[in-house]
Amino acid sequence: MEKPVHPYIPTLIEEMNEGAISRRDFLRRATLLGLSAAAAYSVAGMADPSGTAIAQDMPKGGNLRIGMRCMEIKDPHLVDFAEKSNVVRQVCEFLTFTNRDNITEPFLLERWEVSEDLKTWTLFLRKDVKWRNGRQFNADDVVWNLKRVADPAVGSSMLGLFTGYLVQEIETGEKDEAGNPKKSSKLWADNAIEKVDDHTVRLNAFAPQIAVPEHLFHYVMFMLDPEENGAFGPGSNGTGPFEMTEYTVGKNARFKARTDYWGGGPFIDTFEYVDLGDNPGAAIAAMASKQVDGLSEADAVQINAMKAFPHVAVHGVQTTQTAVMRMHPDVEQFKDKRVRKAMRLGIDRDAVIQTALLGAGVPGEDHHVAPSHPEYFPLPKYSRDVEKAKALLAEAGFPDGFEVDMTTRPDPNWEFNTSQVMAEQLKEIGIRINIKTLPSAQYWEVWTSSPFSVTGWGHRPLAIMTLALAYRSNQAWNESKFSNAEFDALLTEAEGILDPKERSKVMARIEEIMQEEGPIVQPYWRVFSTVMDKKVLGFELHPSQYIQAHKYAIAA
Amino acid sequence: MAQSEVIQGAIPTARVWGRSPWTLVLRSRTAMIGLALVLFWVVVAVAAPVLPLYSPTAQDVTALADPTPSATHWLGTDILGRDMVARLIFGARTVLVVAPLSVAVAMLVGVTLGMLAGYYGGWVDAVISRFSDVILAFPVLVLYVILIANIGPSVINIVIATTIASAPGIGRITRGLVLGLREQEYVAAAKLRGESTPYIMLVELLPNCRSMLIVDACLRIGYTIITIGILGFLGLGLPPPNPDWGGMVKEGTTVINVWPLMSVAPSIAIVSLVLGFNLLADGLREAWKP
Amino acid sequence: MATFLFKRLSMMVLTMVAASFLVFAVSEFTPGSVARKSLGPFATQQQVDILTEKLRANDPLLVRYFRWVGVLLGAIPDPLQDPSTGLNFTDPRGAQYFGNFGYSTLNKLPVNDVIWDRLANTALLAGLAFLLIVPLSIAFGVLSGLKEGGALDRTLSVVCITFTSIPEFASGVFLVTLFVILWPVLPGTSQLDEGSGWPIASQLVLPVAVLVIYDFGYVARMIRVSMIGVMERPFIRTAVLKGMSTRRMVFGHALRNAMIAPFTVLLLQINFLISGVVVTELVFAYPGFGRLLLEASLFGDIATLEAATLITVAIAVTTQFIGDLGYMLLDPRIRVS
Repeated sequence: MEKPVHPYIPTLIEEMNEGAISRRDFLRRATLLGLSAAAAYSVAGMADPSGTAIAQDMPKGGNLRIGMRCMEIKDPHLVDFAEKSNVVRQVCEFLTFTNRDNITEPFLLERWEVSEDLKTWTLFLRKDVKWRNGRQFNADDVVWNLKRVADPAVGSSMLGLFTGYLVQEIETGEKDEAGNPKKSSKLWADNAIEKVDDHTVRLNAFAPQIAVPEHLFHYVMFMLDPEENGAFGPGSNGTGPFEMTEYTVGKNARFKARTDYWGGGPFIDTFEYVDLGDNPGAAIAAMASKQVDGLSEADAVQINAMKAFPHVAVHGVQTTQTAVMRMHPDVEQFKDKRVRKAMRLGIDRDAVIQTALLGAGVPGEDHHVAPSHPEYFPLPKYSRDVEKAKALLAEAGFPDGFEVDMTTRPDPNWEFNTSQVMAEQLKEIGIRINIKTLPSAQYWEVWTSSPFSVTGWGHRPLAIMTLALAYRSNQAWNESKFSNAEFDALLTEAEGILDPKERSKVMARIEEIMQEEGPIVQPYWRVFSTVMDKKVLGFELHPSQYIQAHKYAIAA
Repeated sequence: MAQSEVIQGAIPTARVWGRSPWTLVLRSRTAMIGLALVLFWVVVAVAAPVLPLYSPTAQDVTALADPTPSATHWLGTDILGRDMVARLIFGARTVLVVAPLSVAVAMLVGVTLGMLAGYYGGWVDAVISRFSDVILAFPVLVLYVILIANIGPSVINIVIATTIASAPGIGRITRGLVLGLREQEYVAAAKLRGESTPYIMLVELLPNCRSMLIVDACLRIGYTIITIGILGFLGLGLPPPNPDWGGMVKEGTTVINVWPLMSVAPSIAIVSLVLGFNLLADGLREAWKP
Repeated sequence: MATFLFKRLSMMVLTMVAASFLVFAVSEFTPGSVARKSLGPFATQQQVDILTEKLRANDPLLVRYFRWVGVLLGAIPDPLQDPSTGLNFTDPRGAQYFGNFGYSTLNKLPVNDVIWDRLANTALLAGLAFLLIVPLSIAFGVLSGLKEGGALDRTLSVVCITFTSIPEFASGVFLVTLFVILWPVLPGTSQLDEGSGWPIASQLVLPVAVLVIYDFGYVARMIRVSMIGVMERPFIRTAVLKGMSTRRMVFGHALRNAMIAPFTVLLLQINFLISGVVVTELVFAYPGFGRLLLEASLFGDIATLEAATLITVAIAVTTQFIGDLGYMLLDPRIRVS
């Protein structure tokens, strides 16, 4: 079908040809603006990896078992861990799909159109999608779901993404105990989410937003059956390829394949998640004994142990997942920005990657912007310089270094090992770190208040998403208590610039600030990995850890 | 720990102590084997700083490709490239300080409580015994996990947890021994002489409980080593990068399929040291039997 | 007898009250709050503050303890299930009933929905272990107690002491290395799951073995001590002098008498096995009570922790009580004071 081309696309093509923006950035933006993935890849002169296309010549039948924690799921719109989302995703689906290359494609949608000012988004629904109970998937379903996640009373994390273009913060008129006005939020206008006809929905935003299709792929943005009002359990209705037949927290989840699924597959008859607990050894033992056909995730050490098994295939994908050693700049030892810079110079990134990740990663540059992010700006690289680091420490008033406590948690392994390796390396510049380990649950109680710790940060397709969450002044997730007016202003500027060429200039400055006075040492970008039995066909690891069981088959 | 019952099985006697008990011990082969195992670990632990060892925290990136035993690393390295021999030996230092220290503190508290309860009887006994009942009703490990998960792992907290978990058991044994002894003639004689209560407790009663308590202490040190190992295995061990045997086993289980030695070696270390203390306890008990 | 029963029962209740209060008090040390745990790590401080206020989680310790007791006894409804919290916590049994252990902040489920299945799984594991420990330890104990200090006694004693010195996680490591990796005849994990391609029975072998290895040696030692005592009694000496066969002597006379003291010890092992299952269940990913207890204490899930404490203490006190009763039955000389 011929689609109207967004007027901005020719500019993008021009900038790509001039080399002002990367091909990756072009692909992402062009598809967000409504260009089909096939067309975008062809303009960029690249082969389309066909993220959503499924081979149809797969063997049929069988039961597939994947090891993964099975946690309590109250409401799919509220899930907070990838594992929970992985359970719901087999039953309920998203409107869009962001593939391994960060390219967002329509999923339950046929296509979308966006106005020139990026404020009006028209979503065209597929007409061949049916709920499992036989009802046609329609615009009312979409409107209900989008409105539900925008309701502050529901408490979905989608609210944060919608705020700023669909949702406005409002004063409730009430005051809390401290006398501060209580804030709430609501859709900015009654027609913000609007049904056009049975298969068309329009979003009318008050501010331009380019990432709408990416937001629709946020891991809670499931299309649920309005009849069920947010409940989820065995037998729940969905447009997805499976019906959930059993769910026991801490034990397993079982699914039965639909025969009338609108998309490709599923090929297997039944699908199952098995909870293997927190002991990483148990997961390996289960793979060794073929009690499961694969794991949702396996770290480098586990991979190393399992790659020797003849029946196991290792899968990996470069992500923007990382661990940062972050410090509160208001603490005695870290007050001076030279100390923080000295710590960045005290780390041998390759050795950290070799030791803590067994090589499965690429070096980070301490600014939390990954080379794979579209807004990445390459700054000059630097390597470990113990002398310079010592000199900086001396200038800052610590000629003999100092001793400091660091909070960590014992799992996941890769995060914990990273803490140990970095602590050992920093000894050489005179910083003696006492590692204090807290069980994960207790760690999450203090993760923002502890003055010095190591925290893992998940994969996000855009760097400004992470920067805004983690380093903008006074944000709830600003664990490092970093506060820099210039940084904040630049970040706001970057979020509003639509021209990638202009934006990269701003990004360069943001990255410099992080390297010069930022609150983190960021050693690497992690390769996300897992294992599957070789008999599992069609498995492709997604950087967001998404399991898509309808694409998998079991070799006869 | 139910092991305290072992002691109660034997009948306490007065004044075994007089006849050079250590010569008896020397004749017990079991005790000697146990002593040898314990001494082995004590000697390497004490000598660790002067032994030609790697630093237990130094990471040898080059060894990571093949962390199995080699000429440079006799038992290989762990998953972060740290020398296993060094970590085992420095791990022994930790455990050989923490376990005996914990048991010593627990003995101090437990014996005091037991003496008071046994000697005075009445409401003192009732209060102490009821309180002990509550603690003893907990499965021991559960008590440890609840305590350490809440107050955090550190040497001092392990000492506190051991004291809370073990003192009631020690108190109960001591109370039983004192109950048997306080009717003895020499105690009555001391009372007649007008000796003070502390004097009677420390000079007349304590030495006669000594053999039983030493045996019990050996068993408890063994059990405390196991407990410290379990805590490490559960992720509640002493904070890294200090080598901790239980923690090493835990780390090693991740790669047990390819490099089983990483978890088998520290397991053997724990077993050998615990076995040492248990054999020693058994030998002592046999040797000092009435 | 009635007074004895009453005394024991009141003692049990008292112990449970004291134990549950202790757990409550110790949990004060954990950083964090019920509100934070209910809402998850990524909730904002404001949300946490609002919920804390709603739950009155800042009340003094004693007030909160008695509120918990009130919920347990069914005197008041569980505050976490109040719809105004917005947590959406509901118990199919209702918010107010006797035996309400409250809502697990770890599993986000009523504790009663989780804990009993787990306990049943653990009972299976511990029960099988117990079935093996009893005959094994009796055999070892009687054989080594027959002739104190003999070659057989010394050998068996050293075997027993060695096994007692192997903690569960170490024997777990050894057994997995041997039977899962080097000679793969058994499954490495035991989720009690039919679909894994391994029969349930095979999944139980290793965890049961781990428990038996650590425990049987100790019980055997107890039986040995008791057996030695019996062998020195005059009636046994007479029987031996009369030329009675060893077999008849052991089964006819010695064993019954030798079992009186270890009977209590054997029952105490039930309590001890509860400790043992924590590690064993973790090693083998066994869906049991021990793992639940461990996860609850690490998470600081006070409702589950309290429920588990009450259950373990109840088991401990009950087995003690049964031990005393059995003692009376086996040895008529003992009278209840």
